[in-house]
Amino acid sequence: MTEAGLQDRTAAEETELLARLRAGDERAFEALVERHYPTMLAVARHYVKTRAVAEEVVQDAWLGVLKGIDRFEGRSSLRTWILRILVNTAKTRGVREARSVPFASLAPQGDEPAVEPERFRSADDPFSGHWRAYPGNWQRLPDEALAERETLDVVLAAIHELPPPQRIVITMRDIQGCDPEEVCEALEVSEGNQRVLLHRARSKVRSALERHLDG
Amino acid sequence: MNAYKFLRTDGTGVFTRFAWPLPDRGPGEWVEAEPDPCRAGIHACRLGDLPYWAGRVLYEIELDGHVVEHKTKVVAPRGRLLRRIDAWDDAFRSGYTRYCADRAHEIARENGIERWEEVIEPSIPEGPALLGFVAARIADAAGGADAYHAERARQADWLAERLGLV
Amino acid sequence: MADHEHISCQEVVELVNDYLDQTLEPDETSLFEQHINFCDGCDWYLNQMRTTISTMGRITEDEVPPETRDKLLSAFREWKRT
Repeated sequence: MTEAGLQDRTAAEETELLARLRAGDERAFEALVERHYPTMLAVARHYVKTRAVAEEVVQDAWLGVLKGIDRFEGRSSLRTWILRILVNTAKTRGVREARSVPFASLAPQGDEPAVEPERFRSADDPFSGHWRAYPGNWQRLPDEALAERETLDVVLAAIHELPPPQRIVITMRDIQGCDPEEVCEALEVSEGNQRVLLHRARSKVRSALERHLDG
Repeated sequence: MNAYKFLRTDGTGVFTRFAWPLPDRGPGEWVEAEPDPCRAGIHACRLGDLPYWAGRVLYEIELDGHVVEHKTKVVAPRGRLLRRIDAWDDAFRSGYTRYCADRAHEIARENGIERWEEVIEPSIPEGPALLGFVAARIADAAGGADAYHAERARQADWLAERLGLV
Repeated sequence: MADHEHISCQEVVELVNDYLDQTLEPDETSLFEQHINFCDGCDWYLNQMRTTISTMGRITEDEVPPETRDKLLSAFREWKRT
């Protein structure tokens, strides 16, 4: 299935859930909660101090969603709309229990190359900037190597060690499948910043996976 | 409009890995692309573009609809493979690789940029796409962008003549 | 980048994620693909990044805690009544 096909199917499913929700279908509500809970919790965690408060924020946000569900016009994705309510709820709560450093001030720092410069030929070399030695060809690896629990653990550990702005962006984009727009809206960060944070995060995770797979 | 297209040995697109309907006693089926004018679409080579994309297997492709010309490729909303160009086989690729390597040595020596010599032979196992780049890159080092393009055009002429393409 | 006829591997690894997310300009995309075409090292790096992303896609998240689920269901039933 193509990228576009998957998105279309998700959009169709959400339209159906929304209709059932408005009709009072409890199962539809449960399904929506389940679908969006991880993202909502992750985003709430970013605005308030503790997980306990974040969970309360998520619950309050769902009340807000129910109150406003008849007004949702579908101009943005449902998730974007839900996240907007969540962010407003979190910030209101956050005023009282703010995190010490707001997200926006953690701007992408100076130089953080995706791959160590030593792995490329130096400036005086005719092929300056090209690989000294090629990285591994993972297509040669047996499928099991990538499907192992251990591989997933290496990735999870790498994500856990990321600085918070990179961690939340990669979690939303690559684990939870959010669009760039949803991330920018939820975290109130520019498209450019979001891209840089994602790039740095992915580069670190790839690097950790490389150490694990290639030794 | 007719053009050319390189695919992987398994008949999939080099970057998209899309499985192309291959010609078999007749053209392959038409393939339509997602509508996205600058980004997506059926990508193909004019004759002059062949050196940039030198791949494993070469096909002639028929393009339909509004064809947009870019610097080193054309993009169309619809295309179908007409025939495989059998002359482009591994032996031919080796011959072309050798031609590019020899040109690379020639340009380097003529212009006194010997330090480039050391990358030519080790690059040969990589094949025609890399050697074409190396030769053009050395030309660029010697004579700038114009020389780069001239060398690429020379490569395209060499290919067209020996593959019997017009 | 329009001045150069080529990009290096060192530049490619910085562009890989923009390429995968399709946020490169068309001419940048061409230069990127031309490089990938002749450079196995970068082709393999691109594939490594794709594999890294798809591995992350397989991570499943925690379930909704039961207490939260119950609270939300009562809230839902309350909302239905009004």
